[in-house]
Amino acid sequence: MPRTIPRSTTALDTESDKQKRRFGIESRRSLTGWTFLLPASLLILWMNFYPMIQAFILSLKTGKGTRLNFADPLWYNYERLFHDDVFLLTLKNTFIYLVIQVPIMLVLALILATLLNDPNLKFKAFWRTAIFLPCAVSLVSYSLVFRTMFSNDGIVNDALLGMHLIGSPINWLAQTGTARFVIILGLVWRWTGYNMVFYLAALQNLDYATFEAARIDGAGPIKTFFYVTVPQLKPMILLTAIMSTNGTLQLFDESWNLTQGGPANTSMTMSHYLYNLSFRNNPNFGYGSALSYAILIMVAILAFIQMKVGDKRD
Amino acid sequence: MKNNRRIIRGAAMLLAAGLAMGGLGACSGDKPSGEVTGNTLTVWCWDPAFNIYAMQEAEKIYQKDHPDFKLNIVETPWDDLQTKLTTLGQANQVDQLPDIFLMQNNAFQKNVLAYPDLFQDYKNAGIDFKQYPAGVVAYSIIDGTNYGLPFDNGAAIDALRTDVLTQAGYTVADFTDITWDQYLTIAKDVLAKTGKPLLSGQAGSSDMIMMMLQSAGASLFDAKGNPTITDNDALLASIDMYQQLVKAGVFVEVNSWDEYIGTFVNNSVAGTINGSWIIGSITSAADQSGKWDITNLPKFSNVSGATNYSANGGSSWAITSNANYALAADFLKATFAGSTEFYDTILPSSGALANWLPAGESKVYAEPQAFFGGDAIYSKIVDYAAKVPSNNTGAYYYEARDAVGAAITKILNGADPATALAEAQSTVEFAMQ
Repeated sequence: MPRTIPRSTTALDTESDKQKRRFGIESRRSLTGWTFLLPASLLILWMNFYPMIQAFILSLKTGKGTRLNFADPLWYNYERLFHDDVFLLTLKNTFIYLVIQVPIMLVLALILATLLNDPNLKFKAFWRTAIFLPCAVSLVSYSLVFRTMFSNDGIVNDALLGMHLIGSPINWLAQTGTARFVIILGLVWRWTGYNMVFYLAALQNLDYATFEAARIDGAGPIKTFFYVTVPQLKPMILLTAIMSTNGTLQLFDESWNLTQGGPANTSMTMSHYLYNLSFRNNPNFGYGSALSYAILIMVAILAFIQMKVGDKRD
Repeated sequence: MKNNRRIIRGAAMLLAAGLAMGGLGACSGDKPSGEVTGNTLTVWCWDPAFNIYAMQEAEKIYQKDHPDFKLNIVETPWDDLQTKLTTLGQANQVDQLPDIFLMQNNAFQKNVLAYPDLFQDYKNAGIDFKQYPAGVVAYSIIDGTNYGLPFDNGAAIDALRTDVLTQAGYTVADFTDITWDQYLTIAKDVLAKTGKPLLSGQAGSSDMIMMMLQSAGASLFDAKGNPTITDNDALLASIDMYQQLVKAGVFVEVNSWDEYIGTFVNNSVAGTINGSWIIGSITSAADQSGKWDITNLPKFSNVSGATNYSANGGSSWAITSNANYALAADFLKATFAGSTEFYDTILPSSGALANWLPAGESKVYAEPQAFFGGDAIYSKIVDYAAKVPSNNTGAYYYEARDAVGAAITKILNGADPATALAEAQSTVEFAMQ
């Protein structure tokens, strides 16, 4: 859209007239924009930013229930986080999930998307639906199903016993290592299809000529994948990595429903601990808010690093 | 493409229909709560077969003298109730509260101390709390004032499969008034002869430990509310016995509540120790009718103040600061705290046992129960309830219970008990700062 007004049609136009008319059209144009933006902006300000500011103020307070006072020193709750063994344990757990689960899931999603993008594949719609379907399942119900599957007399133990792979049932959810494994398995099952859809969408926007050119140049499927597909998908990989990191740091349902944080808190996530602090134990909303801000800061730092590493555009 | 459009149109229509129905639902749902009169009380509680049923029967009994009286009972599971309570307390929205709600005994101290503005005490209700076991009333006494009217009886029982015991050459009498050491010996023998353990429970949950502690009048806090997880003889004895039970295979650890219930309903475990409300789950296995009986708990031989009686769970009615106090108090006094007719109605059909001691003298309690081999188990339980030692749950009950649960898991995995308990103590002390 041209920002300048075409030269006046009549010679009688004065400079001030021109000014007036330009201002009129421009302001009308921006007014239309603002009218469209305003409802959403106000809602975001009111429902998102206002509570965030309130939560920050709350994170500077201490006390039980409603009897809250500003802490002395103000950053007391934040300092407290560093001395809280349970918080440090949940921090460690969450990062174990992040470091193991996110790469496995994204690589799997990328491979599946490439396979499903093959124009010669039969029953394409069926495969896509089947892999995406776990995403339509509610977090609570799939957690409960996983808990039943991995119980002492659950289907997993029955199957392993039936195949004579183990001698006695494994108590999956009562040991730290296996409990974390079950949570990671659940996460991969639930979210791989979701990320795959992003990659599929991106793959369909790629110019098919680039793949043809690669084939003419003699590149096999593996070389095509690494040197043609992946570099072109970089922005999408960056997006999914940030989203997954964000999601994993805020993980709650699986920890709460699948393992209840056990054994001995070794599978509890930060958000689960935050919930316990605020609602289950003696309500300590000030400390809970400080913990939620700690999660926010971690998400922001990780997203920043990923953008610096992943985005090489000049 | 055409197909897609049809799907989208279909989805849009469904959505519209859903919205319309949601709207209708909201309309019809609004009506009852709109008619607030001086004769209506709103109650929040959980479990339709137990607490809600009891409330409905209480409503009928109160209606005999007050024909206009009405209860508006809203089913609210405990976890939701606690979250609602915290949210309302934190936001200071007292007007959203019901008149009466049910609260877990273990959560009473915490909630009244954190949100005193949500509650009204029982000072002016004219209820004689001497007619309740002291140990049960103590849960809801804060600074010497009563805030809860005990309802659900949490007295602990040792329920046993008599047919399995007979196979091994024992009777329930061999389990009555015994010590934990004797229990362990017999239970090992039963396991060896029949292949059936006598106990099960959730790994990492400290219910069993808490029952053992209370049987000696001990808890995780001293009288002033300071945590006593270290240097606690009763706790050390409890953990030691728990460990021996698990290692001997007499106590089976499972991961969830459903699995725990499953162990005795599916015949794989031949007994359980829990609050008397567990009877509801035991009797759900109709094919085991006549094969069960109950007795009291084993006691510690080496801990001072040890008894054969304990409790787990239980709940009490609280009156909120939003309540029509006169009506709420009079209703509770005339039913839950004053009507044997009421307790006689709810006991046979729901197994809802009274904490209100005069109800125990009623004939209904002395009736033999066919499921339990013709034993009059309810009068037994009322008798146990009166003997449960009182202890201090403290406001930090949940923190301490979780910390001890984590410590037990560590100890069972080979950690040194003293170190693990010292960690638990510092976790609780940290939470209390």
